[in-house]
Amino acid sequence: MTTIELRNVSRWYGNVVAVNDVTMSIEPGVTGLLGPNGAGKSTIMHMIAGFLPPSRGELTIGHGSSWRNPDVYRQVGLVPERDSVYAFLTGEQFVVSTAKLHELPDPAAAAARAIALLDMAEAADRKIATYSKGMRQRIKVAAALVHDPEVLLLDEPFNGMDPRQRLHMMDLLDKLGSEGRTILFSSHILEEVERLSGTIQVVVAGRLAASGDFRAIRRLMTSRPHVFTVRSSDDRLLASTLIRGTPIAGTLIRDTSAGRPAVTAVELTRAGLQVRTSDYGAFCRDIAVLARDHDIRLREVLPADESLESVFAYLVAD
Amino acid sequence: MPDAGVQAQHQAGGVIHDLGYRGYDGPRLGRVPIVKALTWHSFRSAFGIGRGVKGKIVPVLTFVAMCLPALVNAFAVARGNARLFGYDVYTPSLRVALVTIFIAAQAPELVSRDLRSRVLPLYFCRPLRRGDYPLAKYLAMTGALLVLIEVPLLLLYVGTIASARNGSAVWHETRALIPGLGVGLMWAVLFAAIGLVLASFTGRRAYSTGIVAISCVLTFFLALLLIQAEGGQSATTTGARIAGLFSPFTILDGVRVWLGGDAQAGLVADPGRYGPLYGVLAVVVLAACLGGLAARYRKASQS
Amino acid sequence: MASTVIETTALTKVYPGRVTALDGLTVSVAPGVTGLVGANGAGKSTLIKILLGLVPPTTGQATVFGHDCQTSGEAIRALLGYMPEHDCLPPDVTATEFVTHLGRVSGLPPTVARERAAESLRHVGLHEERYRLIGTYSTGMKQRVKLAQALVGAPRLMLLDEPTNGLDPAGRTAMLELIGRIGAEFGISIVVASHLLGEIERICDHLVAIDGGRLLRADSITSFTQASQVLAVEVEEGLAQLQAELAARGLSATAQARMLLVPLGGDDTYDVVRDCVAALALPLCRLEQRRHQVEELFRDGEEFQHA
Repeated sequence: MTTIELRNVSRWYGNVVAVNDVTMSIEPGVTGLLGPNGAGKSTIMHMIAGFLPPSRGELTIGHGSSWRNPDVYRQVGLVPERDSVYAFLTGEQFVVSTAKLHELPDPAAAAARAIALLDMAEAADRKIATYSKGMRQRIKVAAALVHDPEVLLLDEPFNGMDPRQRLHMMDLLDKLGSEGRTILFSSHILEEVERLSGTIQVVVAGRLAASGDFRAIRRLMTSRPHVFTVRSSDDRLLASTLIRGTPIAGTLIRDTSAGRPAVTAVELTRAGLQVRTSDYGAFCRDIAVLARDHDIRLREVLPADESLESVFAYLVAD
Repeated sequence: MPDAGVQAQHQAGGVIHDLGYRGYDGPRLGRVPIVKALTWHSFRSAFGIGRGVKGKIVPVLTFVAMCLPALVNAFAVARGNARLFGYDVYTPSLRVALVTIFIAAQAPELVSRDLRSRVLPLYFCRPLRRGDYPLAKYLAMTGALLVLIEVPLLLLYVGTIASARNGSAVWHETRALIPGLGVGLMWAVLFAAIGLVLASFTGRRAYSTGIVAISCVLTFFLALLLIQAEGGQSATTTGARIAGLFSPFTILDGVRVWLGGDAQAGLVADPGRYGPLYGVLAVVVLAACLGGLAARYRKASQS
Repeated sequence: MASTVIETTALTKVYPGRVTALDGLTVSVAPGVTGLVGANGAGKSTLIKILLGLVPPTTGQATVFGHDCQTSGEAIRALLGYMPEHDCLPPDVTATEFVTHLGRVSGLPPTVARERAAESLRHVGLHEERYRLIGTYSTGMKQRVKLAQALVGAPRLMLLDEPTNGLDPAGRTAMLELIGRIGAEFGISIVVASHLLGEIERICDHLVAIDGGRLLRADSITSFTQASQVLAVEVEEGLAQLQAELAARGLSATAQARMLLVPLGGDDTYDVVRDCVAALALPLCRLEQRRHQVEELFRDGEEFQHA
């Protein structure tokens, strides 16, 4: 079980600061590394893999720094984004040669295992030049796994894969993550990241914008009201109930405290009732009760901006 | 389906125009205008027009260099000398050098650029035939070489007749010019094909330039060496007569001599009875290059 | 006006070396936005090349707007806009020049080409950037230029191959919105080839799934994403309690990740769920009738041939 630690890591190229004072900790399991194009994700991965030294700061994998440390290389497998395979080799030759470079005791067996894991056994004896993009990705992953690394870094691993290959790869990463490996992968396809892992590290313009479980991150965005879409048997009645609060007996004062939803706006749209609330928890607690008390059938309650896609959009926009 | 055209919504005192998408129902031009447009576009690239300053350096300098003998001649004739150069050979070695430089630099500009940027599918998905693309490139390159070769000849002509004493001198010059222009046309037609087919092998400009330049230079020197080895341009051995077959420059020169030109003024020894062989080989090389070009782009359109 | 945009009949393409790219593909593509999904390599790109008239089929027939692909290639290409998957833009021209030039190559007269190029660039959202060299553009801007050149010839059908390739999430959303707008407002039929089923579900009306050169399934998206008889319930806490309470009321729910899946017996299931949640005072954060997903086709279907 290895944790990757970055402490105040920066990396610059002349005047261009690719990574700016990033402190993050990547635990075992699957973590998504997200960010707009050019945010520094690949640079971070290459530093973790030991291909680049940080210009400043400390980067450790387990207990060792990754720069020029062969022991650490044994623990880390990197699947870079660019095509980095020798097209004239067959898939098997490529993975076996990687195994040999790692000085594994039985390169052929290790290669065969890795290739089988990626479901490439049938195509392994063909030249890589004949592979489709998705197959090249898979053979790269096989090569990165051949030495059974604790840490796996994947830069846009799903690029070019067809639906079936994507599902297969997601299952594989899920399995590897639950085995206790530390897996960091970057992707632009947020629906898939969401499915694979709730834990994310978001990098924007070289700086770390957010880390952790994206649902928890969303809760932290208190300046943005939560939006829900509700469909019921009587949207209008539900809307007015949500907005009104409870009258205190005998007076005209509306008590909007003590458990009533902190609803700031309701809108009747074609998709249903859109509710804005500043208190996520209160709304969730009250909606079923309110609906029951007013005999309204709830057909659908959907959070409109709790998805990773929304969270990411908010983080990047800020 | 939305209405085409402008739709104005009139409010009291105000109008909102519809800036939505408009289709196009007007006339569409056929293949010929499309090929013309592509040819003109490529012709401009051959001279670096629309490419910034750097792209113009080689074509412009080459052209200026090619014109220099004509300018020198104009001065010389004005001082009373006879015309310095023949229309059919001009300055042979200079012309060989400058044509080589031009096609080595500019053929890649026409074809390797598109290969490198992988833009061909955007052409082939349009209403052209497969062969139209290489055809346009070929016509453009031929046109560019015609400018490079014939304009200096015309300058030579104008510079000479400017100092002509009478009408018969002018007529004499004109009669000499015509075959010269014909030779120039042969050069343009053949070297456009050679340059383009060699450059179309790769998208990397440096390699294309290298391939074209080296092919031209090596074959030329080979032919020259063989001619020298056989005794030079005045030799009459079979070896000397056929030595010119080894380079396109000398092949065309051989054709020129076969058709009545003066051997001594040019590059090769007199081909004598091998003259027709030069003619045939010129046609064969041209056909092979054009065929290769067509095949290259047929393959490209399918990939 | 043809009611089908593309029609293939037993379309087969066998390359030398006996590689079968398409194997008796018979499919009809209706107007609107259609997604094209399939295994990598052979099938999809071969189909596109055949439709563009660049490659003849070995046997079978394909028509676009009623024109036969083998005999009327030029007529078809005049009606088609194509956006390739790979990088295909020269770096040393401006977007305006490039799109105008391709407009001329599409057969538009010179002034029309210039005007339509300007309009196409406006529609895809490129403003002052269009006067800069394409080499200075970001991936998102380059994808837009590719889309603009497909639009400039006033096509009736656009073939978009992985249009969101390489785009970050914001860029993807913008591109998908653009495509949706083109399909809905511009009156142009679109075929989007993509591996991303999520985005196909978002913007497409129909789907054609190809597997091993053959048709796996072709249908409207709504038929793939029909409501299932399962209600998904998510509560911030107390999932087990809720499951027990539902069971006590006769509904056997299964837990899946953070949710409970409750079989929808009838409309009263909604009320039972609501009442259970209310009774236990649990925070309800999601309640929805599950829909099928296009992805299911690939989870249970036949093995894809590896290209």
